[in-house]
Amino acid sequence: MTTTIRPPASGTPTPQRRAAASEPLTFRQRLSRFDVKASPYFYVSPFFILFALVGLFPLIYTLVVSMHEWDLLKGQGPFVGFENFVEILGDSMFWNSIGNTISIFLLSSIPQLTIALIVAYLLDQGLRAPTFWRMSVLLPYIVTPVAVAIIFSSAFNEADGLVNNLLNVFGIADQQWKHDTFLSHVAIATMVNFRWTGYNALILLAAMQSVPRDLYESAAIDGAGAVRRFFSITIPSIRPTLIFVIITATIGGLQIFAEPRLFDVSTAGGIGGSDRQFQTTVLFMWELAFFRRDFGEAAAVAWLLFLLIVAFGLVNFLISRRIATGGDRPNRRTRRARERATRGGAA
Amino acid sequence: MKLSRHTKVAVAIAGAASIALLATACSTGGGEEGDGDITLTVTTFGTFGYDDLYTEYEEANPGVTIEATNIDTGGNARTDAFTKLAAGSGLSDVVAIEEGWLGAIMEVSDQFVDLTDYGIADRKSDWVDWKYEQATDADGRVIGYGTDIGPSGICYNGPALEAAGLPSDRESVAELLNGDWAHYFDVGRQYQQATGKAWFDHSGFVWNSMVNQMPEGYYTSDGELNVEDNADLKANFDLLSGAVGDGLSAAQAAWDWNGGKSFVDGTFATFVCPGWMLGVVEGQVETGGGDASTGWDFADVFPGGAANWGGAFLSVPESSEHKEEAAKLADWLTQPEQQVKQSAAAGNFPSTLGAQETLASEATPNEFFNGAPTGAILAARAEGVVAQFKGPDDSVIQENVFGPALSALDRGEADGTVAWDQAIELLHELVGE
Repeated sequence: MTTTIRPPASGTPTPQRRAAASEPLTFRQRLSRFDVKASPYFYVSPFFILFALVGLFPLIYTLVVSMHEWDLLKGQGPFVGFENFVEILGDSMFWNSIGNTISIFLLSSIPQLTIALIVAYLLDQGLRAPTFWRMSVLLPYIVTPVAVAIIFSSAFNEADGLVNNLLNVFGIADQQWKHDTFLSHVAIATMVNFRWTGYNALILLAAMQSVPRDLYESAAIDGAGAVRRFFSITIPSIRPTLIFVIITATIGGLQIFAEPRLFDVSTAGGIGGSDRQFQTTVLFMWELAFFRRDFGEAAAVAWLLFLLIVAFGLVNFLISRRIATGGDRPNRRTRRARERATRGGAA
Repeated sequence: MKLSRHTKVAVAIAGAASIALLATACSTGGGEEGDGDITLTVTTFGTFGYDDLYTEYEEANPGVTIEATNIDTGGNARTDAFTKLAAGSGLSDVVAIEEGWLGAIMEVSDQFVDLTDYGIADRKSDWVDWKYEQATDADGRVIGYGTDIGPSGICYNGPALEAAGLPSDRESVAELLNGDWAHYFDVGRQYQQATGKAWFDHSGFVWNSMVNQMPEGYYTSDGELNVEDNADLKANFDLLSGAVGDGLSAAQAAWDWNGGKSFVDGTFATFVCPGWMLGVVEGQVETGGGDASTGWDFADVFPGGAANWGGAFLSVPESSEHKEEAAKLADWLTQPEQQVKQSAAAGNFPSTLGAQETLASEATPNEFFNGAPTGAILAARAEGVVAQFKGPDDSVIQENVFGPALSALDRGEADGTVAWDQAIELLHELVGE
């Protein structure tokens, strides 16, 4: 009997509960539900709120500024649309700065990443006291860019600098490090490389250490030499990290400012050398904004530079994807097609 | 991505820091003032010579603490001040403004306190009349207490002149160089032929002196840009380019001078010296490893007569929280008595008549400059000095228009015609006409 009675007894709460579900929830229940659904967003929100404040808002505000006449001291002027952009795109100094930036970028990124790869590879060879070597490589990164710029500016001093003195030892005449366009780019690229090579090497090293050792062993058994193993196993395996390093190097390389600004102390106007030999785009922007007081055009330069960096980043992403994949590794579509073919053959 | 993580950390730190700053700002605004203790911030540049005066003021005014910042050059001080003005915050309670960029500051003079509210008008007769007028805007507001002015003489290296068979004592040098710029360059040619060395350090400073000496510089007195068709300016440029063509310029990088060594090793023999430059010369010689025995001296002469280059003002920005106290400090610092002490410490030349008289009568020998009575010499050099109107883009024209052109001239990359054309081209691009 009890059993026959029980089911309805126990069954009654169920419809009640169902009814409760369609009835409005209590405050507590709502809160709990809200908590489950919304909390994750709140947990991640500090970053996005701060990003909106210090990243997104300035980005949009810069666009607003770039569409106005805007004096550094006097502030907002009339709306001019894209006139500032037209002005900048027709300015030979802007293109000169772009040329300098790209030149310094190439002179710094390529040797920097090449050396970083080699250093990382060497650090990956099971040295004694690995922490010591790794920290030594990172040491230049601790030095602030300004200090690096001041030290190297002194070293590259044309009359009595360390570099020219060393060249003199080898019988090479003094070089015009601060006046010759190419040499000044080399000097600035050296500062950048000094600071960033070790940092990149460590990131690449971390990636290299996650490459399974048995891959190397089996390759060695198959008769692959060290060089072959490096190009066919190491590089493809660290591809994502390599892409990351290349893209951050691109962003950093196109934003060089402190080094060229401090390379020549005599120019308060920030023109980068006596005749803009090493004025990078960011330095040009600085000159426009803070020396020539034209905030509108400076904002336009900022936006153009932003677009340029995005474009460069994309190009580098595509190139580095191809290089790191290597010629012999087929892409995903071919691989799938091949798999399908083998499966079809088996069937 | 590593970068975003970095950004996050940076952002977090920046956020925390700004909150902390806000908190401290509130606390200083509330708590400390109640006790009457305040901290006044002061920003100066170059060699200002105020350090001992700050201490003196603090002792005389218990409860006032002075936090001083000195920026290396006027050019960098300009950037500092402009950036903070644009940001609307960050300026010190007392800011030193240089004459060269006063023109731009005058366009936003309402961002500075009208010092007539603090009694500057009663002191009007303290200063040379044009100094007070320079700091007065179109509405009659006065925004700066004059500190120093820049009457110019010639610094020269005694041993270098001797080596060329030229006289080296002050009076004879003053006599030797007495004349116009053409004469100064002619003596330079004589020196250059005798020694094979350069006469002056680089064209930029000589050019500044020449331009500052003209009744009207890059702008006419009523504020019109006047460079391209300015025959006097062009004539001076030709004169200078001729001298540079004869090897009179040492093509030095200003504010570096090969780490000061060029002042010591006889790279050049003369140097244009407004009062405030004396401190710069002393500093550079010391940086370059020299001392008083290096033989720099100061002659009571300047090519083309009286000239003023530079000079500064002390202003109180509207953003200051202690306007009255700041004005009081700036007022005190620019009193004749203090200006005399400042001049003794930094070698610059005061803008108040009382201080000028004291310097002229005391004629204290300056040990570094071979015992030359620099103050008295500058007082003599100040006679007949007239202020020149400085337009809003004066410093841009000086640095970024004529700077590159003169550098090309110095290095032999351009002759006078090419360099002038280059300057005009830059003028069109940078300033517009």
